[in-house]
Amino acid sequence: MRRWGLLALAVALLAYPWLVAGTDSAAFLQDTGALVLLAAVGASAWNIVGGYAGQISVGHAIFFGAGAYLPLLVYQHWQWSPLFGVPLGVAVSLVIAVFIGFPTFRLVGHYFSMATIAVAELVRIIVGNWDFVGAAIGLQGPATARGWYDVIFRSSVPYYYIFLVALALVLLVTWRMQQSRLGYYLGAIRAGERAARSLGVPVRRYKLYALMLSAAFTSLAGSLYALKTGFIDPDSGLGILVSVQMIITAALGGAGTLFGPLLGAAILVPLQTATNTWLGGSGSGLTFIVYGGVIVFIARFEPGGLLEMWQRLRTARRGRRGEARHAA
Amino acid sequence: MLLSAEKVAKHFGSFRAVAGADLAVEEGEIVGLIGPNGAGKSTFFNCIAGDTPPTSGRILFDGVDVTAAPAETHARLGIGRTFQVPATFADMTILDNVMVGAFLRHRQQGAARDRAFEVLELTGLKEQWRQRASSLGTPGRKRLEIARVLATGPRLMLLDEALAGLTPSEIQRAIELVRQIHALGVTLVIVEHIMEVILTLTRRVLVFNQGHVIASGRPQEVVEDPAVIEAYLGRGHARAARS
Repeated sequence: MRRWGLLALAVALLAYPWLVAGTDSAAFLQDTGALVLLAAVGASAWNIVGGYAGQISVGHAIFFGAGAYLPLLVYQHWQWSPLFGVPLGVAVSLVIAVFIGFPTFRLVGHYFSMATIAVAELVRIIVGNWDFVGAAIGLQGPATARGWYDVIFRSSVPYYYIFLVALALVLLVTWRMQQSRLGYYLGAIRAGERAARSLGVPVRRYKLYALMLSAAFTSLAGSLYALKTGFIDPDSGLGILVSVQMIITAALGGAGTLFGPLLGAAILVPLQTATNTWLGGSGSGLTFIVYGGVIVFIARFEPGGLLEMWQRLRTARRGRRGEARHAA
Repeated sequence: MLLSAEKVAKHFGSFRAVAGADLAVEEGEIVGLIGPNGAGKSTFFNCIAGDTPPTSGRILFDGVDVTAAPAETHARLGIGRTFQVPATFADMTILDNVMVGAFLRHRQQGAARDRAFEVLELTGLKEQWRQRASSLGTPGRKRLEIARVLATGPRLMLLDEALAGLTPSEIQRAIELVRQIHALGVTLVIVEHIMEVILTLTRRVLVFNQGHVIASGRPQEVVEDPAVIEAYLGRGHARAARS
């Protein structure tokens, strides 16, 4: 049953660009699909440390930014293929994760979240004043493709499939993690650090593992974003909205669940593009309002996210059906 | 000597919660810690478990100095503990709770699961393994905590009021469980308020009052010690008991 659901999801995701190809707004729908997958990669990456380990980082824009900046940086300065910047971004993110993780993981709960905001804003301001990385203006990728290695496509479809591969990768790693000691230990840390420690869980070390894993994939999401848009500046790469979007996407679908972030992205991204087109919103102010609404909705009605709501409804229905069978 | 705590003291500011307590436990013993509320039992307990390092003094476990070591090191060396207020992982299933403990000595998921089921069988929680820990009542949670610790393969178990708040029949079952654990070769130190439990389970008790150990010995003798009666009931009662 579960396996069939998974297969259906995979087929649907693979076929999506082809399915919408015949419609009037094919290009728009394909582009939205690619954006959904990209948001899902970012939110799934955040989910490893924010969902599974329960450490609500609001500073993940740093890793996203590192991943986004480095491909364009190596192009701008040395005319390398942006692809070389992808592993560099991951490496830089891992180093940053260790540096941030050591001091901030001493803090618990809200204090940890606040510290991550502070560090992220600090990085954004520094980058915005640093000429080598484009300062406030930002960086640009190659205008036209010199070859395949510049990863520039006119259509969104190639990006869609690249993002799909990335999503499959992050979900596969997360799934493997869930089955391993790391996954169980992170769950224990989320549920209660003191009790986890008493059972032999080296809490800070495992939080750091989670952050490093999460940072690497967040960086990948940033790189993919930069490859597709070919442009990055402090706001789009390192702004607090970047972190907030990852959190809300994961929390809406279900933080700490495998497919929650994908579900959240599938709802939130179209909602965002729709509000922007309908209301002609050029300002990101409107996006904030949408996010605010979603936060209120999650906090008030469904703190576990939509996947948990779905699961609860399903067990309730199954329970009723069971009773009916008893009565018969 | 499996555990020896020498002149352990713990101060919070100017308040001396524990003012120099000694405890020596031989392998295979069951030792009880009793005393009125606020006597420093739990603080002393937390020092031994590595939860909070003592202000001064020394704690040796099987010859290794663990005075300043963190709680996870204690667990790895073989000291397991339960909490006064059960700290089970509420959203996890009962099996997963126990598996967290089992992962300490078993790297692979399959091995950890097997170990967890063994422990669940022993503690009588096997039937409920799919349920979330939050579905259990207090007795169930206390049992689950014991199961979780047992899965880490401890040589010494510290039970902090593991039987408090249980009904008489539940207490009987819990005493039975403690006996079974002891029969597995686990040494136990138990903090307990219920005299019945102390009298049936332990051969030796230490009585705490105001951060000091005021008496120690066989439980039947200790409960008649005037200093102990005074600590529990006040001065007048001690005189009455003596006469």
